[in-house]
Amino acid sequence: MPQKLLVLRNCGVIDPQDVKSYLARGGFKALRRVQSGMTPAQVVGEVRRSGLRGRGGGGFPTGLKWEQTAQSPSQMKYVICNASEGEVGAFKDRYILEKDPFTLIEGIAIAGYAVGANKAYLYLRSEYAHLAPFLIGAIAEAEKEGFLGIGGHRFGIELRLGSGGYVCGEETALMESLEGRRGEPRARPPFPPSQGLLGFPTVINNVETLMNIPWVVANGANRFCGMGTEESKGTKVFSVCGDVERPGVYELEMGSSLRELVEGLASAGDVKMVQVGGASGRIVPADKMDVALSYESVLGAGPVIVFDKSRDVVDIMRQTMEFFAEESCGKCAPCREGTQSMAETLARIVDGKGRRKDLKALEDLSAAMMLTSSCGLGQAAPYPVMDSLRYFRHEYEAHISS
Amino acid sequence: MKIEVILNGAKVHGSLGMTILELARQNRVDIPTLCYHPDLTPIGVCRICVVEVEGCRTLMPACQTRIAPGMVIQTHSPKVIETRRTLVELMLASHPDVCLVCDKGNDCELRQIAGDLGITMPRFRMKRHYYPSEDAGPHVVRDLTKCILCRRCVRACHEIKKADILAMGYQGFGSKVIAGRDQPLDAEVCQSCDVCISVCPVGALAKREDVERRSYRDCRDGVRLRRTGESKGVPQSHTFSSPHEGEPGG
Amino acid sequence: MASSTNDARLDSSLLLLLERTREVYGYIPEHALIGLADALGLPVVDVYSAATFYRGLPLRPHGKHVIRVCKSVPCYLKHNGSIIHAVERELGIGPGQTSQDGLFSLELVNCIGACDRAPAMMIDDEVFGDLTAERVTEILAGYR
Repeated sequence: MPQKLLVLRNCGVIDPQDVKSYLARGGFKALRRVQSGMTPAQVVGEVRRSGLRGRGGGGFPTGLKWEQTAQSPSQMKYVICNASEGEVGAFKDRYILEKDPFTLIEGIAIAGYAVGANKAYLYLRSEYAHLAPFLIGAIAEAEKEGFLGIGGHRFGIELRLGSGGYVCGEETALMESLEGRRGEPRARPPFPPSQGLLGFPTVINNVETLMNIPWVVANGANRFCGMGTEESKGTKVFSVCGDVERPGVYELEMGSSLRELVEGLASAGDVKMVQVGGASGRIVPADKMDVALSYESVLGAGPVIVFDKSRDVVDIMRQTMEFFAEESCGKCAPCREGTQSMAETLARIVDGKGRRKDLKALEDLSAAMMLTSSCGLGQAAPYPVMDSLRYFRHEYEAHISS
Repeated sequence: MKIEVILNGAKVHGSLGMTILELARQNRVDIPTLCYHPDLTPIGVCRICVVEVEGCRTLMPACQTRIAPGMVIQTHSPKVIETRRTLVELMLASHPDVCLVCDKGNDCELRQIAGDLGITMPRFRMKRHYYPSEDAGPHVVRDLTKCILCRRCVRACHEIKKADILAMGYQGFGSKVIAGRDQPLDAEVCQSCDVCISVCPVGALAKREDVERRSYRDCRDGVRLRRTGESKGVPQSHTFSSPHEGEPGG
Repeated sequence: MASSTNDARLDSSLLLLLERTREVYGYIPEHALIGLADALGLPVVDVYSAATFYRGLPLRPHGKHVIRVCKSVPCYLKHNGSIIHAVERELGIGPGQTSQDGLFSLELVNCIGACDRAPAMMIDDEVFGDLTAERVTEILAGYR
């Protein structure tokens, strides 16, 4: 199955510094259409019908999120575009921002109109600071051409740089950070559509989610629904790296096979396993690579890391858990202590000092963290360890007995 | 407005806005808590009070989760007990193994919960924090090595005393409660109050006079014990016995 | 009206001001932390609380250029160890240290989103990918 370029349709085609080249490709037509002939409720309805779900890993129905925000009574509402791409192996948002900032701006503006927000923040991780001047320029271009805030709808987009930290990709931690505090996730409920930034109703969407919006509006929900699987409509953008010949960003229709992506497009050979979704992603062993990429089976935010047969699974898991131990915000005990304990246990096993009961300890810790951590970071961190213990237990045992 | 929920199989009634913890306590169901304190805003960071709520993917913190009509709650299912045990074992793993010489002794809430759950030997091994003990303040003696980061002191300082001397500092496993400009809790930073001490569930914060009185008594008792070879009237947890004797880790 | 007040709240957010302080000094000096607490009417401990949370806000002086070598799995698979070693050898410093001439600091960081060009590093805001030990030498020479 070849790539299906929907989100990436303009990437490498338009000049990302020139709004005219975007206009020449039909850019801002969707926004014009929305502003001139659709009510906010119609826009929300179209997005709902499209079945579009969050592309940042959570998979929450985008239209529902918009509807909840639109219906929350408030004078002030916000849109936040989450460009705090911090998942290990993820670089698809960076690619999009570099190649096609205008579609994103259009998507943000449509979201603002649909939910009744006058202000949007584009939250960019500090590692992408080099893109900030360019993105600010693109926003200014769009503004100058009169695409932001017309027809009585006042709307502005402002770029904000993060100060570092994986956890700030978590939506409520991101808001805490925007408000100037420690990037610790909030307890939920309340959820952002009722109380988000500064306590006001807020739609927060991933870059790729918003990139889909202009297409959905321009081509209609029905055409979008025609792509993908029962519960996963449209396409998905992946960033493939690791042991592959052609690392890069690829867009496939939902439901395409992992094998097609990894072996067909990225030209991997001699695959041992693939981690789908970054550090907190699921492990897929080589013999299960025919799995369909979708919310129903395995998907994540887009990073796909490929490991060939020369790789030591336990050593990779040690690295992965060290990452989480460093990036845990430290607020809730299971994540703060659990990631640290797991990282230390895995290091002992790699160093040949592991004991058989360490494997049970890893399993018990994983279960407790998944059940009790207060945000997605701690809940998802144990996935790769659980999966690798399931598929590659013999490698752990080999480290312990040697 | 009355809300009907199923608590451990029984139909019970609570009122709107009530948390699962409040409902449970009203019905004499004991859910262990650490970061929760009745006088402070619940923050749900220790996760010890987690319970099973039908339809939820994860366990829910009882101190923060409000009841809803028809909710089906299990506070002591095997899954809940097993998970709570793991959490307490995990907390003990990075907690210093000095219960026998700790001023908090049997008043330590972490130790009590561990005892209730039948935890003896900590199962997980991990590195511990080493912070110098701070005893320069007029009232507070602080030993951050024993801190379990429940944030009760931070909330008490902010919510009750409105002093804002304490806050969380740093991040992840390296986070700690900081005072002022991240400095020792001495007279320059904190003048007069001991509200934080009264809420500390473990031995991280203690009153200066208590520590002094206790160390005087321990010295005195220690001398007498050595002379007479008997332990009459001295609670074991207050004597300087070797950490290898008695209950390990408890 | 409401919106401009809110914008002001976010425009004068502590983190934004800390970020600007870092741009000026390269780090957040103590007098700035205290000054910000004063200016914003915040308890000084709250300023420390926020500042110490973020790794991007160093409280101690850095070298003129900060080198961040990625240590996450995709770069690890591409032998980032040799890159770290090359930087260490070139500058005579280890991670967390600053060179004697005050020109460079070295940090090992988590994923910088340049995995398609692993192994990768950043010098200040610029990203360098597809590194080799030889390339590291060339790149660093350009900063001296």
